Amino acid sequence: MPTSLQLDRRAVLKGLAGVTLTLPLLEAMGKEVAAKTPRRFCAMYTANGMSLPNPKHGIDDWSWFPKTEGRAFEFGKSTEPLKAFREKLSFLGGLHHPNGPKADPHLCSDMWLTGAPLHNPKPGMFNSVALDQVVAQHTKQFCRQPSLVLSIDAGVGFLSRTGTISYNVEGKPIPAENNPRRVFDRLFRGDRASLATQREQLQRRIKLVDAVLESSKALNKQLGQSDREKMDQYLTSLDEIEARLTASEKWIDIPLKTQDYSHLNLDATSEGEPAEYYRNMFDLIALAFDADITRSVAFMLNREDGMGISDTFPLKLGLTRTHHNLSHAEDKDGQLEFAKYDQFLSQQVAGFLKRLEDYKDNDASVLDNTIVLFGSGASTTHYPKNLPTLIAGGSNMGLKHGTYWRGKDLRMSNVFLSILRSMGIEQDSFSDSTGTLGDSIFSKV
Amino acid sequence: MRLIVLANRNRALALLAVMLLLQVGLSGRSTSDETPGKTIAAEEVAFKEQVQPLLQKFCVRCHNAENMESGIRVDQLTAALEERQLPLWKDILKQVADEDMPPADEPQPTAEQRKSLTEWITRAMTVARSRPTPKNGSVRRLTVAQYRNTLRDLLGLQEDLTDALPPEGISKDGFANNGQTLLLSPLQVETYFDIAEKALDLCLVDENSKPVIQNFRMDFGTAINPQPCPDNLVLGALNMLLNNADFVVTELKPRKPFDFQPFAMQTQFEFIEGYVGNDTIRAWKKFDSIYHAVFACVRGTPGYPKGEAHQVVASGLLLRPAIPSPEIFGQSNTYGPMANFKISLRELPEQGTFRVTVKAARYDEGELDQSGTAFGQRSPSLGVYLGLRRDCGSTLTRVGKPQAVANAELQDFIFEGAINDFPTPDVEKDNVNYLAGIREIGIRSEYTDGRDMPRLLVRSVEFEGPFYDSWPPATHRDIFLESPHKNDPAAYAQEVIRSFATRAFRRPVTAAELETLVRVWKNSFADKNDFRQSIKDALLVVLTSPQFLFLIENSSSPAAEDLDGYELASKLSYFMWNAPPDQRLLELAAKNALHQSLDAEIERMIRDPRFGQFVSEFASQWLSLDKFDVVAVEAQRYPKLTRDTKTQLRQEPIQFLRYLIEHNLPLRNVVQSDFLVANEVTASYYDLASRTESGFRFVPIKHENENLGGVLTQAGILAGLSDGRESNPIKRGAWLARKIIAEPPDDPPPNVPQLKEDDGAKLTLREKLERHRNQKGCAKCHSGIDPWGLPFETFDAGGLFKKDAGLDARSTLPDKTEIKDLNGLKTYLAHDRIDQLAFSFLKHTACYAVGRSLAYNELVFLQEQSVSLKANDYRMQELLRFVIKSDLFLKK
Repeated sequence: MPTSLQLDRRAVLKGLAGVTLTLPLLEAMGKEVAAKTPRRFCAMYTANGMSLPNPKHGIDDWSWFPKTEGRAFEFGKSTEPLKAFREKLSFLGGLHHPNGPKADPHLCSDMWLTGAPLHNPKPGMFNSVALDQVVAQHTKQFCRQPSLVLSIDAGVGFLSRTGTISYNVEGKPIPAENNPRRVFDRLFRGDRASLATQREQLQRRIKLVDAVLESSKALNKQLGQSDREKMDQYLTSLDEIEARLTASEKWIDIPLKTQDYSHLNLDATSEGEPAEYYRNMFDLIALAFDADITRSVAFMLNREDGMGISDTFPLKLGLTRTHHNLSHAEDKDGQLEFAKYDQFLSQQVAGFLKRLEDYKDNDASVLDNTIVLFGSGASTTHYPKNLPTLIAGGSNMGLKHGTYWRGKDLRMSNVFLSILRSMGIEQDSFSDSTGTLGDSIFSKV
Repeated sequence: MRLIVLANRNRALALLAVMLLLQVGLSGRSTSDETPGKTIAAEEVAFKEQVQPLLQKFCVRCHNAENMESGIRVDQLTAALEERQLPLWKDILKQVADEDMPPADEPQPTAEQRKSLTEWITRAMTVARSRPTPKNGSVRRLTVAQYRNTLRDLLGLQEDLTDALPPEGISKDGFANNGQTLLLSPLQVETYFDIAEKALDLCLVDENSKPVIQNFRMDFGTAINPQPCPDNLVLGALNMLLNNADFVVTELKPRKPFDFQPFAMQTQFEFIEGYVGNDTIRAWKKFDSIYHAVFACVRGTPGYPKGEAHQVVASGLLLRPAIPSPEIFGQSNTYGPMANFKISLRELPEQGTFRVTVKAARYDEGELDQSGTAFGQRSPSLGVYLGLRRDCGSTLTRVGKPQAVANAELQDFIFEGAINDFPTPDVEKDNVNYLAGIREIGIRSEYTDGRDMPRLLVRSVEFEGPFYDSWPPATHRDIFLESPHKNDPAAYAQEVIRSFATRAFRRPVTAAELETLVRVWKNSFADKNDFRQSIKDALLVVLTSPQFLFLIENSSSPAAEDLDGYELASKLSYFMWNAPPDQRLLELAAKNALHQSLDAEIERMIRDPRFGQFVSEFASQWLSLDKFDVVAVEAQRYPKLTRDTKTQLRQEPIQFLRYLIEHNLPLRNVVQSDFLVANEVTASYYDLASRTESGFRFVPIKHENENLGGVLTQAGILAGLSDGRESNPIKRGAWLARKIIAEPPDDPPPNVPQLKEDDGAKLTLREKLERHRNQKGCAKCHSGIDPWGLPFETFDAGGLFKKDAGLDARSTLPDKTEIKDLNGLKTYLAHDRIDQLAFSFLKHTACYAVGRSLAYNELVFLQEQSVSLKANDYRMQELLRFVIKSDLFLKK
């Protein structure tokens, strides 16, 4: 468990009793957090697979997966826009969720970040926790918001046509936000009423935890010779929770980092121009990372099976078919258009990586302190194996980039566990993982 | 020497090292010859002078910190014979005495040296065994299952709120309730807070509000609906909607002894997305009919083998048994069984319990249905499901247990559950897709073994939820008790909190505890002036306090003390029910009469339905049934092992063990019995000559098959100990050694050399195992595994007897007994090794009962003392009693 704040918890609690905390004290706590390099995670999902053209069409250079494996890999045309980040990213191939092929292929976005056995779900618990939410559990005490869940369409969609890729610990979908202005207002312009409610809830919880702590300590004293190890674990846990709650509460009073928002166009919506929309959503994520508002983001760029507005994006870009139809195309023209749409997505992702590269933490770029996962739940439409996967950033967490790494039918959950371990989250497993990825781009797992 | 005299005589050995140092320092003070210090000191000298040099010379070269051959270090051993070293000492004694070690190609000690070694170890072990383990009480938290049961019993809440808690780790002994493996993390404690918050929200209501109740009924019959929905209803791929005229939906107002508000289902909708075939269509369209909110449909694989899977007749809907569709085994198909009837609907209550009432009868099939025939004796089983529609079928979970429908007259069958224990679609309210978020109530005639049976007649299905008998509901009234102090907030709060905390802590709350809790209430009440909320705050502290979450046995010294009455009540009930003590146990504890009433209470507890929670938990962990849960059986090879059949086979060992205990049968039945405890599904799986007509109910049946009986040949166990394709003698052998006879093989040593793959020679499994066994580094463990596993070779990975005469299941057991096959092994275990079987059962039961691994002494105690039960054939209840009435259980 990473240690949280070094500041005396009691000092803060005293503050709660009535005296308002002084600003320098808060700044001291803020600095304390900031002094530790943030470790962040961002997952980005694209539906319907990626372009892997049929060889008979002679357009192999448009294949999403690079031509050569290892460090000598070459970008295909559909990923060429990412070339500038060659040393900051890697392609991963040969991965899949073992539960993927067992389930309806339309479920691949439901399970992309969870790996859950959706063909045979547990009663009462359809999905299981998503990677971004595991990260959030461990990073939330260091920032204002546990996580940010975004999608092209607001809400959750519905089973097998999901509109979110994020699921909480109970396996429930977390509603996504899709409107840049609303996201901005919530993250950067927190309104007074909701802040007051938030503060009230936190203060109540702190009081209750404190009461439990008090009665536990009293009990512990009575325990005589009894095995106290469990009680110690319990007391430590309570202390830790209290520290986290206090930290969360404290954030409400710490002024936001001063940032330049002038490049944002908050009137952009998913109904408008696709590039403008994606740019603004990515800029918001980058700003949120830079200001340490959150350390965990999940963003669903488009949805499976022709659902939602994004299906029409290719048309808006001058291509001739919708996204889902293109993904099913067998003909050369269709497959070429599908690849061109991938190229468009690569441009947007490259723009995002550039933003992250430009923002700086104390010691490195935000990109170096962020593991960016970009991929799909199927390689081509409805084929849930060999998942197209790109990982960028995170050099500060031991990621060694500039390669096209291929496993052989390896579990996606092993990649996810490797991501968690790289971030210093010491989990034994994630979903159906059997271990970490071993000798790959992760050097600290 | 004073120190030794002061110290507990028997703990002296543990302190030996320290004392020897002291002795040096205090030399000059004389030691009386009679003190044990002398003996101990003498042994210490003997260890230093004789034993250690021998170990050094013959053992340490391989068994040291770096090499750790077979995972063993001898260089650390001391004369103190520490508790954790005892098994190793025992092993060394055997190895040296049997001349198994050092290995033949290493320098050997002389006979004299061997003798001095074995004699010293024997002497020292005797001393070590006679020292009781220090008892310092215990503190362990409730397991997830115990916590779930406790919340349910305490709050009267059906809903399971514990999904967010991580599953428990499993101890080396195989149990989830071991104090050492029950960890606590901040995340987990945070989850306890969240669960407590949710639970109290569910229990407590605003007394002045009126509940909203959803209640409707669907009736079936040919042309029963005079005003059928004029629209074509749509439900996606592979559906067979009932004729719109053949069902009718009525919204009802239930009779209740309290005021409520009936819930009116939405009947007007506007959607922009829908399906036609496999295409998504987009256009805003308005709908206005209750039949767009609730409709009736059969969905599933077409092609029922005999007759029509379903049929609407004048008196209702007829259903044939819902045959699991073959694709289900291949896992990809979720369309459900054939004849998968369901009511699709858009709205259900968000929380609370619900009740589904099915009016059904056994359909009179006319001349087929003569009472003398087997057909005439059969009755359909009615199963009710709740879940959700998915594009690829449905996800449905059964509500309660199937019920036999034996009468030709219509009768009401009631099924209840908590709505959130069933799959929910979690779709936002304003979703624009016609088929998004549709719920389903499934009604089936359950399939058991495929024999013909009369059809199930369903006349109507009624839903009511949230279901309340009274308002405010019992969950609320149990907390906000009736009291003359109701109008005095401070006095009433104190009363409410005291009552709740006493029940939650499973003992009277102390004054200091009450004070803390009341203070929470006071502050909250002063702050918000909201009585219910302030009580909730105080109760939330109760539900997150260690007094509630932990099982505490408080001890004041290392000497063994008696459990107090309340500690005993909890220990008993969490052992025998996996749940908190009931009123009666607590009353006996309060009167300090539980110790005296133990026999009667044990008997009562075995008869209680909660005893099933123990058997299920214990049998699953003792026999490693979780392996069966996760094994991926290859469908092509084992087509009979369907998901539904697996569910029943998973129950078999549990039901079997429960039957043995409830009927107090001799232990030998565990390995060898002339009956099975089976239901129609499992009896059909084993292809028993005489079937049962019990539906899903497990009943004893004489199996009349020499290859059945006892747990060793139960499919749930044998299949779990395979890879889903081939039988696996190593898994099965290791399981038997560990679980059945408690002679566990050692862990595989580190750095086991990789087996050389087949060098071209075609080897039989037996030869491969032999080769493996002879490999250096493998032999030691495998000689304790393979002989137990080979006799199982006549059983396939599906757990059935292989009808292949050429198979060789002979084995030479570790004690050189030759057996012919598994039946030979069963006889050997049931007779020659029955003492060891009893020891193993006791060991596992005791481990589970006390929630920790047993100390060496305790194992020796079980081994030596349990023999007294032999005269009466080691009867199951006597074994349980033996554990409960031992110091192991009763002392802290």
